[in-house]
Amino acid sequence: MIAFICILLTIAVYAVSKLVYRKMRFALLSPLLIAPCILSLMLVGVHIDYSDYDKGGRWLSNLLQPAVVGFAVPLYKFRKVMKKYAKIIAVSMSTGVFVAIIISGVFSHIVHLNDNYLLSLLPRSITTPIAMAVSVDIGGMPTMTAIFVIVTGITGLILGPAIIRSMHIQEKLAKGLLLGMGAHGAGTSKALEFGSEEGAAASLAMVLAAIITLVFAPILTPLILL
Amino acid sequence: MSKALRIITQVLFLYLFALLGNFLVKLLHLPISGSILGLFIVLGLLHFKVLKLSTVELGASFLTSEMLLFFIPSAVAIIQYKSEILQHGSQFLIVILLSTVTVMAVTGLVAQFAIRRLANKKGEIGQ
Repeated sequence: MIAFICILLTIAVYAVSKLVYRKMRFALLSPLLIAPCILSLMLVGVHIDYSDYDKGGRWLSNLLQPAVVGFAVPLYKFRKVMKKYAKIIAVSMSTGVFVAIIISGVFSHIVHLNDNYLLSLLPRSITTPIAMAVSVDIGGMPTMTAIFVIVTGITGLILGPAIIRSMHIQEKLAKGLLLGMGAHGAGTSKALEFGSEEGAAASLAMVLAAIITLVFAPILTPLILL
Repeated sequence: MSKALRIITQVLFLYLFALLGNFLVKLLHLPISGSILGLFIVLGLLHFKVLKLSTVELGASFLTSEMLLFFIPSAVAIIQYKSEILQHGSQFLIVILLSTVTVMAVTGLVAQFAIRRLANKKGEIGQ
C-alpha cells in the first residue's frame, strides 16, 4: 500500500514541478532538481525510510530500462545522418570520455578527496548500471557512483543549455553529442527538447560514452592514481 | 485502440526487449547493460524491417519524454548518504560541476570543429 502511495506521490510531485518549470522556464527549477528535494523533505517530515519509499520508487526506476531501449527510435530515424558523421562522432566521443575520466580525477585530487571517492567519481558521466559496473571494476564504491551519476545528470541538464549558448555551439549534432556525453540520459532528455536530431545524437552519445568508458576507465585509472 | 492503451502495450513491449537484453547479458557475460543491448536489438529489428516503426514509436516517445520521472527515485536516494554529504558534499559538487562543464564544452567544440571542417572540405571539392 505504501509503495503504491509513494508511486502516486512521486508522479504528482513530478507533474506539478514540470508544470511550474514550463511556466517559469528557469533552469534551476528543473523537475529533476525540485521534485527530489520536495519528496525528500516529505519523507523526512513524515518519517518514511528511503527503503520503504523505494518499494514504490523502484517501479519507476525500472522504467528507465524500456526508456533506454526506446532511444532506438530516434537513432533509427536519423541513422543516415549518424552514419554520415560516424568518424566525427567516434572522435568527439573518445575525446569526451578521455576528458571526463581524467578531469574528474584531476579535480578530485585538487579538492583532496581520498582515492575511494576519486575512483567512484571517475565513471560518473555515463548511464547508472554501467557506471556502477565500471566503479566495481576500478575499485570504487558503486552506490556512491550511482549518486554521482544522478548529480551529474542534474548538473548537465541545468548547465548544458548555458554551455551551448556561451560556446556558440550551433550544429545540432554537436549539441546532442555534448548533452549525451556530459549528462547521459538526463542530458538526452534535454536534447530531445531541442529537437529530434539533437535527441538522436544524444542517444548515440549516451550509448557510446558508456561503451568507451568500459574500455578506457581501467586503462586510465592507474595513471590518475600516480 | 485508444492512444493510452497503445502507449501502455508499447511500453510493455519495449520492456520485454530490456528483459531479453538482461537475460542475454547474464547468459553471455557481456560487459554492457541489458537495456543497451535491448536498444541494439530493437534497432536491428527496425533496420531489417522485422519491426515496424509504428509498433514502438508511441511508447518510445512517451518513455523518452517522461524520462526525468524515472530518475527521481534515484535522486531521492541521496538522503541516505547524509554523513558523506555533510562531510564531503561541497568537494563532490565542485568536482562534478567543473568536470561536467569541461566535458560538455570540449565534446561540443571538438564535434562542431570537425563538422565544419568536413563541410568546408566538401565545399572546396564542389567548386
